[in-house]
Amino acid sequence: MIALRLAAKGHLEGETLVARLVTTHKDDRVSFLGRDYQLTSQEGAWAYYSRDDHAIALRGKAEDLDGDVIMLPPNASSAHRLIRANSQHNSLLITEQCDQLCVMCSQPPKTKHTDMFAAFMLACVMAPQDAVIGITGGEPMLYKEQLFALLLQVHAERPDLTFHVLTNAQHFEPEDVETLKSPAFNNVLWAIPVFAAAPEVHDRIVGKAGAFEQLLKTFDLLSHTFAQIEIRTVVMQSNQAHLAALADFLTTYIPFASQWSIMQMEKIGYGRMNWRKEFFDTSTDFAMTARALCIAHGRGLDARLFNFPLCTVPSAYQRYAVASISDWKCKFEDFCEGCGLRDQCGGFFEWYDVESGFETIGYYE
Amino acid sequence: MSQANYDLSDRLAALRGRAQSFRNAQRSYIPSEMSYLILVPTLRCNLACSYCQVSRVAERASGFDWSEETLNSVLEFIQNLRVPRLKVEFQGGEPLLALSLLKRVREFCRANLADVEFVICTNLQSISQEAFEFLSHADVTISTSFDGTQDLHRKQRMSSDEEMQGFLSNVRRILARYGPNKLSALPTLDPRCLPSADELLDGFFEWGMSSIFLRPVANYGFARKAHDAQVISDNWYQFHQEVVTEMIQRNFQKGTHFEDYYLSLCLRRMLRSDVNGHVDLRNPNLLGKDYIVIDYDGTFYPTDEARMLTRTGQIDLSVGHVSGGVDQNKLNTLNAYSSNFGDPDCDSCRHQAYCGRDVVDDLSRYGRIDLPRSETEFCKRHLYLFGLMEDLLESPDPAVHHSLALWAGIPDWDPILSKVTQ
Repeated sequence: MIALRLAAKGHLEGETLVARLVTTHKDDRVSFLGRDYQLTSQEGAWAYYSRDDHAIALRGKAEDLDGDVIMLPPNASSAHRLIRANSQHNSLLITEQCDQLCVMCSQPPKTKHTDMFAAFMLACVMAPQDAVIGITGGEPMLYKEQLFALLLQVHAERPDLTFHVLTNAQHFEPEDVETLKSPAFNNVLWAIPVFAAAPEVHDRIVGKAGAFEQLLKTFDLLSHTFAQIEIRTVVMQSNQAHLAALADFLTTYIPFASQWSIMQMEKIGYGRMNWRKEFFDTSTDFAMTARALCIAHGRGLDARLFNFPLCTVPSAYQRYAVASISDWKCKFEDFCEGCGLRDQCGGFFEWYDVESGFETIGYYE
Repeated sequence: MSQANYDLSDRLAALRGRAQSFRNAQRSYIPSEMSYLILVPTLRCNLACSYCQVSRVAERASGFDWSEETLNSVLEFIQNLRVPRLKVEFQGGEPLLALSLLKRVREFCRANLADVEFVICTNLQSISQEAFEFLSHADVTISTSFDGTQDLHRKQRMSSDEEMQGFLSNVRRILARYGPNKLSALPTLDPRCLPSADELLDGFFEWGMSSIFLRPVANYGFARKAHDAQVISDNWYQFHQEVVTEMIQRNFQKGTHFEDYYLSLCLRRMLRSDVNGHVDLRNPNLLGKDYIVIDYDGTFYPTDEARMLTRTGQIDLSVGHVSGGVDQNKLNTLNAYSSNFGDPDCDSCRHQAYCGRDVVDDLSRYGRIDLPRSETEFCKRHLYLFGLMEDLLESPDPAVHHSLALWAGIPDWDPILSKVTQ
């Protein structure tokens, strides 16, 4: 597992520090912000950085941290790694509040909210060239005004960046349409979960009456913009029988969605709590997932499997599986050693448990 | 019905309308830039096939190759396209007879474009060592004609057994060295003299080829003089159906991947709204936007068929000259009739959304474009193809489903896909 937080020392007072760590002096378009902290020494587990006469230390190897953007509150014992320069999986957690309670949620909502938009703004501006930045929650659109402002302002500074916003799509309003037509939003991919085309099934899974109907409103509204849309569906016991109908619905009613991510459950958060009730073993029954893929691809919707280890997928369908699990929460099991598919496989979540997981699994010749 | 349900069905109906608009817009494809050039550096040819579609002159005739001036204008034209990628098809005549011109175009393209591929349409009759070297490069693919069986090919194209052996040994040499992906073979089938479905499929299978563009002899160029192809005969449709049926059986029983390239295209256009890449079937079918032909004398034509029609004196469909640019006025005149929208027959046809229009085909057959659509061969042929596909979509036969999945490019067929969403 890769650390998203780093033990830190040295920043005793003043404002929360948002800084870029550099191993050697850089003179690029980010340096003018005056937030580059340059490596002074590596002493054992600690890397020391300084800017002017201000020094900080972070527990880590300087070569792994080069180009990272960190956030360090005064007197804090650890720093957030907001941007990891060498990763494709950077995301900014806008809030932990949410207005839905999904049965498989990997990050259950909390009531408290801390506004970090100012730090996020700086982090984005200092991100590496052409980075893709995830925007997650909770439900980031609960802070829609600030979020739109962030996306618009960052785009003005850094039109090379693209954003992948995970949202339940319950908070778009007709008056947002004009904003969404701004060129800044050409660089935004909206990832929207739809669990079934049967309203009662979807509403029960997300724990909110009327959620499906609100989705219909949102898709109608987004069809008036050039929004790029990804649909996300976690396969579970309570929706797997509905997958073919969902594929039919998506291809018939939402042809402007450009991709469909069909995902396996993550055993953490509510996903752990509801594992026994909701985990659907696609390694022993792939039929509905297969139908969903065939209907989607037959009609031109690019459907992909996420979080499906290759050995659990019939060979004719392995080409749709993406090695998707974020670097910092991915692992391989002992039996993966020497597996013929290992190089293309996405592996397992860090918190995957063999005992309660897939039944048909393991080594491929 | 409760209030809640009523709201939901309203919302669904509204979203369905939006989806329909999106699909219509996606299907009304307007190419943004040139992506395909058909170049005819020479009209000279070393064969004299009875139905030659690509008007040709004798191998040693002079004055039928690009002049130095024309070559330079072509290169300048390519330069001024300012596109990142381009596919360049060399037609003829027999383009390999003008190898030095081909080489200069290729060198220029490689130096000036990020991504360029070449297709050489050759009869593979006599390939010099130098020509073989030219073909061997990874950015070159070869397109040739093969009439399905060696007997027919010999009869229709060759004047001697030696010629036939020359062709066959070149095919074998290319297949052995580069595999079947390097070479595609287009059959030209004469409805008066058709092979059996078995013979045809055996012939292609032997060469490792399974995608066959089934098309009857065309009504262009010199083809028209020798053959009465103005009406595609019933023979053809019967033959086509037999071949498709045989493909379905073989695919299911023997695990082959046979397809009629064009029928697969029809299927994909019925299933999806984003299949606009084929110039024979799209709507509108705008000419001179994403591909154009440059003839041996530097004249532009909107299609290769337009070039042949002009050469046989039926109508002048040239659209400018490479030294002076494309004649936009003439293109606009042709393009005013490029869509099937607004046509009374098409507007009442259930296939309108995925069908197309081909102005040049109408001109070639009838010398006019105002015939009732339903009386044109284009319409009859597509009614047959879409009708055949509808029959296949309704079939409960697992063998049919197996081939439908192959042709649609998916692992398995799903009954939901048989319901075509317009």
